Amino acid sequence: MEFFAVNGKRPIRLSEATRKFAFDSLNHKYGQDTCKTPAVLMDNYEDFENLSNLQKYDAIIERIVREAPIRICDGEKLSGSATLGLAMQHRVPATFNSEQGIFDSVSHLTIDFETVVRKGANYIQKQAEEALAKYIGSDKEPFIRSCLHCIRCMKIWHKRYLDELKKKPEYRTNYENLQNVPFEPAKNFYEAVQSIWFTFAFVRLCGNWPGIGRIDWLLGTYLEKDLANGTLTLNEAREILAHFFIKGCEWIKGGECVSGDAQHYQNIVLAGVDENGKEITNQVTFLVLDIIEELGISDFPITVRINKNTDNKLLKRVAEVIRLGGGVIAVYNEDLIIESLVDYGYELSEARKFANDGCWEIQVPGKTYFIYTPLDALQILQNKTLDNYSQRVSFLTFKGLYNKFICDLKSEVERVLPSRDWSWRSTTPCTVVSLFEQGCIDKGCSYLEGGPIYNVLSPHIGGLPDVVNSLYAIKKLVFDEEKVAFGELMQLLKSNWEENESLRRYALNKYAYFGNDNDEVDNIAKDIIFEFANVCDDIRCVYKTPAGISTFGRQIEWSQLRLATAFGKKAHEVLSGNFSPTPGTDKEGATAIIKSYCKVDLKRTVSGAALDIKLLPSVVNGEKGAEAIVSLIKGFITLGGHFMQLDIADASLLKAAQEHPEDYQNLSVRVSGWNARFVTLNKEWQDMIIAQTGSEF
Amino acid sequence: MRVADIQRFCMRDGPGIRTTVFLKGCPLRCAWCHNPETQSNKRELLYYETKCIGCGACAVCNQNAHEFSDYHTIQRDLCIGCGECVTECPTGALEIIGKDYTIQELLKIIEKDRAFYGENGGVTLSGGEPFMQSEEAFLLLEQCKKKGIHTAIETCGYFSSDILSRAVPATDLFLWDIKDTDSRRHKEYTGVSNERIINNLILADSLGAKTRIRCILINGLNTKEQHYKNVAGIVSRLKYCEGVEFIPYHSYGGAKTVALGEIYLGSDKWIPSKGQIDEAKKYLQNKGITVL
Repeated sequence: MEFFAVNGKRPIRLSEATRKFAFDSLNHKYGQDTCKTPAVLMDNYEDFENLSNLQKYDAIIERIVREAPIRICDGEKLSGSATLGLAMQHRVPATFNSEQGIFDSVSHLTIDFETVVRKGANYIQKQAEEALAKYIGSDKEPFIRSCLHCIRCMKIWHKRYLDELKKKPEYRTNYENLQNVPFEPAKNFYEAVQSIWFTFAFVRLCGNWPGIGRIDWLLGTYLEKDLANGTLTLNEAREILAHFFIKGCEWIKGGECVSGDAQHYQNIVLAGVDENGKEITNQVTFLVLDIIEELGISDFPITVRINKNTDNKLLKRVAEVIRLGGGVIAVYNEDLIIESLVDYGYELSEARKFANDGCWEIQVPGKTYFIYTPLDALQILQNKTLDNYSQRVSFLTFKGLYNKFICDLKSEVERVLPSRDWSWRSTTPCTVVSLFEQGCIDKGCSYLEGGPIYNVLSPHIGGLPDVVNSLYAIKKLVFDEEKVAFGELMQLLKSNWEENESLRRYALNKYAYFGNDNDEVDNIAKDIIFEFANVCDDIRCVYKTPAGISTFGRQIEWSQLRLATAFGKKAHEVLSGNFSPTPGTDKEGATAIIKSYCKVDLKRTVSGAALDIKLLPSVVNGEKGAEAIVSLIKGFITLGGHFMQLDIADASLLKAAQEHPEDYQNLSVRVSGWNARFVTLNKEWQDMIIAQTGSEF
Repeated sequence: MRVADIQRFCMRDGPGIRTTVFLKGCPLRCAWCHNPETQSNKRELLYYETKCIGCGACAVCNQNAHEFSDYHTIQRDLCIGCGECVTECPTGALEIIGKDYTIQELLKIIEKDRAFYGENGGVTLSGGEPFMQSEEAFLLLEQCKKKGIHTAIETCGYFSSDILSRAVPATDLFLWDIKDTDSRRHKEYTGVSNERIINNLILADSLGAKTRIRCILINGLNTKEQHYKNVAGIVSRLKYCEGVEFIPYHSYGGAKTVALGEIYLGSDKWIPSKGQIDEAKKYLQNKGITVL
């Protein structure tokens, strides 16, 4: 059993049985099993067609909990499995007259595990009963009744597991551990983990993809108490928690998928301060890092909240795990994020609770409806401002061009947002997630109908570095150096640079674009984001509309719609991802990339601004490599970053660099005292370095 | 100062994250040189053939140093290093090595990564031999120290011993090369003998210089027990030495030699085996010396 690492060796701390369980789960055993039972069938349900949507939903949930296969994996320590395959496709897993997945399901939220673990799901039931008394006879009564129905369904599913476990004497511990939770408050660490897992599995069973949130904050006190009582050892706790991570891989099914088969927005957030500003990092934080380090599980992507006072011990541990590669762990700058949320209008105590939507967009967990609207800034520049490079528009100054772009950006943001008197109506029932979102029961409204305490619709801008580079190239080529007239450049761009390869290369190679710590170009990014955030803040509608910067891989689909760029990229090339430099334009290394990114006032991008950085394995090797990662993170915090993902690139990346050197300008190879950019070496030398990647020079 | 290159985010030139300034000019001519473009103190033209698209933009040259018959050739004796062709070259196939900076300009660049240096990181002057431009090097190092930036120097140790009284207080760490301890071989392969280098090292130590000794390992030349024994002997005389680092020869410098239009004298046969590297490390460790 080998758990893959780009770099270095993974330690062994877990039992052989747990490692075997992980190995099977990561190798699709349970995911493929889940595919075999896609959904429950509603065909024979009496009068199904004539039910209201909410009644249909209730009927489906009941059938799911009664009929979904019960799965108990060999030697598992936690019970509950989301065993219906259609859920993996973001649908409520039910079919009617061969219509697959009658209802869409919900993602981009982290549900309220806190209430479940500390107060128990019965507390939610009690709240619903009280709400029923309040809303009886009103139009909110059906929703509240649906809530009570869904809790009953959760209990039916729970009982099926208890009955099954009872039959198997070897699962006696599981049986006992599941009796109390998730309906009553967890009494100890093991129960608390089971409580979170069972609730998570139930919500997923019904098709939804929730995030986990701050697991160390949820579990820390339970572990502390058990360790103090001597009822649990740290090793036992690690085994239990490992099963949480392993069971989280039960939707890995192998085979080809658009964006991989192992990303269902189930992110975890570690460390940071509590609502009173006290650091919460505890033994659970370190156990999670141990597990990721050993098993390399990437299904629960981790983001660690770092602040100026974060203990060096935690930073070092984070760096040690990042060093192994796989890009599992990212970091938040919690000082900046809390400040940005408070500036935006959140109470400080609420801001301090922040986690994410299961990806990296910031939200207060268990209380937030979240959705984002993507905008491709480069298409706005090319199609609107420059009118598809027609000869109809011309600009006499750079300022004129810039101002027109800002104007177009503003109207585009306003265009894509829904009408401002949006009424909270949804045809999609979503009671199961509404149970675990504070505000829904109280207001008598579902998650999709304004139920949660905070409702967020975030405009996310993408392709920003590409726009910045395009504007900068036009500024240099046309207005500063007068290498080419504006109209002539438009013509060249329209021809996809066919007529002047030499000028294209010049534009591509001669200027220091975004990501090289060049103030002149970075300030353009800074100005655009300032304007963009202002537009977002000025929108008045029922949602909060905080700004964000992302592409989430959309740069691939957008590439088909994009024309040639003034900075020398041809039409349809895949350009910048998230808020990272356009591939091939960053030549100064990781510190310069972070500097460029941090010049933007990221407090204004309240939803988030993601920076992805790739490092060579040879750079992060050994003790020295961990030290480098720590220094990068500390610099990122000091300079005012928001979210950063450090990834370690392997030899296959170097091979890609060899084939497409234009996209890998920034790969420098550094071997004790000698230095050169990888792409300036000839093939023989490159081959040599590829062969040595990861070795201990 | 005449600079060959400035690299940010350097991990292997001293502790922490560092900005390394590679300076032009070196008194040695090592056959295995890893950075041949830093040897001469003159501005030099590098030409990367693989990046050339034959567009002819470099024909702006006033000296007519670029010729295009069947392919692009450079008459290097005509080149005055003015850089006109580099400005015009759209692909980066031409590069001038050797740019002059003022101390203030360099300080500004070094300070760019201040946020990443932390307590350990900082600036490293490398080369070439930084003390070929000793006056400016002192000024730069002193300014950096004043600003609280850790300073390191990579040196071949071949310079007039007078400079040490000023160099030692300005330098937090010396990365000091001992390329060979056999004087005859040293002269044959580097052009100078090694007595001065070793005497300077001992003198620097007596002035309180913190050092890390760097030893290049070249298969067949210095992969010899006698050499390791000599190194151990020298290190045992040093009070402030943190340890020894072995640097296996590699032939990557060859790419740059070719770009300079010169013939590379190195050979793949010089690359030491892993066994040889381990043997060298082990020898010193057995003598109680820290191997970095």
